[in-house]
Amino acid sequence: MKTSQEARDVVGDYKSGWHDTENSTIRFDSGLSEKVVRDISKIKNEPEWMTEVRVKAYRHFAERKMPTWGNMSMLEQIDFEKVCYYLRSSSATENDWDEVPEEIRNTFERLGIPEAEQKWLSGVTAQYESEAVYHSIREDLVAQGVIFLDMDSGLREYPEIVKKWFCSVVPYSDNKFSALNTAVWSGGSFIYVPKGVHVEMPVQAYFRINAKNMGQFERTLIIADEGSSIHYVEGCTAPTYSTDSLHSAVVELVALPGSHIRYSTVQNWSANVYNLVTKRGIAHENAKIEWVDGNIGSKLTMKYPSVILKGEGSHAEVISVAYSGSGQHQDAGAKIHHLASNTTSKILSKSISKDGGRGSYRGMVTVSPKANNCKLNVVCDALILDDESRSDTYPTMEVANPTARCEHEASVSKVSDDQLFYLMSRGHTEEEALALIVNGFFEPFTRELPMEYAVELNKLMALEMEGSIG
Amino acid sequence: MNAINRYKEVSGTTDKADHLWRYTPWKKVHPTGDIKIVPEIDKEVKLRLINLDGTDLAEGISLQKGNVLEEKIEDIDPVATSFIKAVSEKSRWVLRTERKFTSEAPILLEIETNSDFNSLELVLDIGEMSEFEIVTLIKGESDWTGFLRTGRIGDGSNINDITVCLQKKGVLLRLDSIALGRDANMNTGTVSSGSERTKADLRYRMAENGSHLQVLGSILSREDMYLDYHIEIQHDAPETFSRLDWHAACGGKSRTIGTGMLKVAKGSTGTDAAQNFHNLLLSKDAEADGIPELEVSESNVVGCGHGIANGPIDENQVFYLQSRGFSKSDARSALIAAFLNSTLVKMGSTVLHEWLSKLLTSELDAMNK
Repeated sequence: MKTSQEARDVVGDYKSGWHDTENSTIRFDSGLSEKVVRDISKIKNEPEWMTEVRVKAYRHFAERKMPTWGNMSMLEQIDFEKVCYYLRSSSATENDWDEVPEEIRNTFERLGIPEAEQKWLSGVTAQYESEAVYHSIREDLVAQGVIFLDMDSGLREYPEIVKKWFCSVVPYSDNKFSALNTAVWSGGSFIYVPKGVHVEMPVQAYFRINAKNMGQFERTLIIADEGSSIHYVEGCTAPTYSTDSLHSAVVELVALPGSHIRYSTVQNWSANVYNLVTKRGIAHENAKIEWVDGNIGSKLTMKYPSVILKGEGSHAEVISVAYSGSGQHQDAGAKIHHLASNTTSKILSKSISKDGGRGSYRGMVTVSPKANNCKLNVVCDALILDDESRSDTYPTMEVANPTARCEHEASVSKVSDDQLFYLMSRGHTEEEALALIVNGFFEPFTRELPMEYAVELNKLMALEMEGSIG
Repeated sequence: MNAINRYKEVSGTTDKADHLWRYTPWKKVHPTGDIKIVPEIDKEVKLRLINLDGTDLAEGISLQKGNVLEEKIEDIDPVATSFIKAVSEKSRWVLRTERKFTSEAPILLEIETNSDFNSLELVLDIGEMSEFEIVTLIKGESDWTGFLRTGRIGDGSNINDITVCLQKKGVLLRLDSIALGRDANMNTGTVSSGSERTKADLRYRMAENGSHLQVLGSILSREDMYLDYHIEIQHDAPETFSRLDWHAACGGKSRTIGTGMLKVAKGSTGTDAAQNFHNLLLSKDAEADGIPELEVSESNVVGCGHGIANGPIDENQVFYLQSRGFSKSDARSALIAAFLNSTLVKMGSTVLHEWLSKLLTSELDAMNK
């Protein structure tokens, strides 16, 4: 197997050896060690402090046990030694689409990324395996001081800002997978919106895993300065292989006083991807953070977007939908911590289980003793479409302030026969009627997405519903 | 394997990730704090079975002391169960009713816990088509009390079963593992305003068609009380119905915890199940936590749902009562009593409700002093 000379030049003779597979420029052999972590940092020519953070995180990861909750039988199947922790398929991040290697370009063109950019986006980052391969931002936003870069470029060009905020919202010791991400992160987005600037159109990142046994560990940091606003949209896909891939991202949002961040995700990983993600935001005075989270694909998703309401008057919203098909477990939810007075939050979670899939809502809301007059509302609805599937709800509510008003309600049901009958009496087939009901069930989520994403999601759900009847 | 060896085998297996042990670790419940120790309890617990109104017990009910058969208890936490079995050797009882036993008067089972450590195992063997109301009153000044209740409610029976916990101090570890027979109807309530720390794990299994269960709680916590209730309801048969309605009022520096698990097994078609937790926070240092969980593996259900609501006393209601001549503290007491009474009133007959209301009023008076 031919080794990569470029990699050798950078990190020396890597003990496990290098090899070119697919069209990768650099591919580390599978397995994780402190040397792999240091080598990733060296390849990226990172400052010393980042290397040290990575190494500390790796040591924590190595010591920390796997979670003893959730779908432990699926988690136990992850073999960290079989995962490739770094794979670079392009030698640079391009800002001219024509410069992106042809095969990667074709992949993203098939996914409709360049077309979407021209029509309705303020900026785009496209990540292929470990590194961003394409990046662009509208010139008027640059002129206003908006920074939108891939995370590696962000670290190179704005090291002070990154050092100030990196790991400030999600410390590496938060959980086993945030430690893993901090140790081997690569790619992701870095966004800074200056005071008072409103980014009217969404910015988008698209993440693609292409290789077998690949681990993708992007790291995203978004800082909205006082009075600013931004809407970030991310999409994820991967091809289907018989072996599993691992996606373990960390997203940190910092909403400074009066700002507004909306973070939308449509996750459609293939059914061989473990999607174990930590997403958290801190909202300062009167700031607002919204997570709009759609989980359609993956083998196992464990993702609980969270918000720490640190500043008085801040607000959080989490709207999430999950579709669990055959062999899938969508273990998703939300966490909101009310630390300051007059803070409000709302969680709406919808899930559908079908063909033996399992959908779980796992959530936590807390109100601290000093947080007066907080209001929070949690609603979870689940539909089970057949006898093989399962739906769970595990909400936790901890309230230590007597002025708080907190509500949680959840229901699990089947599709109403009356609704099916009515739609069929209006000329729809049973299958069409079911797809319409499912789209209607997800409507509170889709209406919060940019239109193109909403249309795409409806199409995806119609495809998933095919063959549901009979 | 005897109970002591069984306990020693499992004693270190509790996990905070399991919501049963999330808020109260086993070592906080264990009488010595050292979970390896199985203390010897040489005194037996005193039990008394009488009619609540002082009349003679009806024919067909008996409370017998003796060895309980080493039956297999499914779906209950092995650590706490094996511990109570290990320390209850001298206090094992069977409460049995004959087929078609009925009693007009509510029955009172008094459990007096006055030695330092008490532990008791009680098996319910309720005959078919029985109809009666029973109150189990746990009172006394012991440092530690364990109470394991297992058994089956016979087919077609209709019983109201209330457990009142009024210990003046100490720790109460209470475990229920009750199965409901075909078309059995059980109202089971908990009224609690005692013990410094309560850890309760109450499990009910709808094992046969058509069973109907209502689980109710009226919990008043005050001072430094720490009351942790876990309630698990499992639907294992078609056309079964359950409701959980849990009301807790938390004052002083107390903390109440309500974790509920509703499981609907595959094949339990036509299940109708719901759980609701309501917490009223009465002081700035009180805390109320809740985790109502659902696991549903059957699609053809009437409905499965749960809810939780936490909040303070509604000041508009206080203001209204003040405008009708109540003092502020009387208005608050009346609203707390009404909040707790909304579950109390569903627990049994009018006679029983009056008895429970008096008890609750005296506890509220104690809180206001």
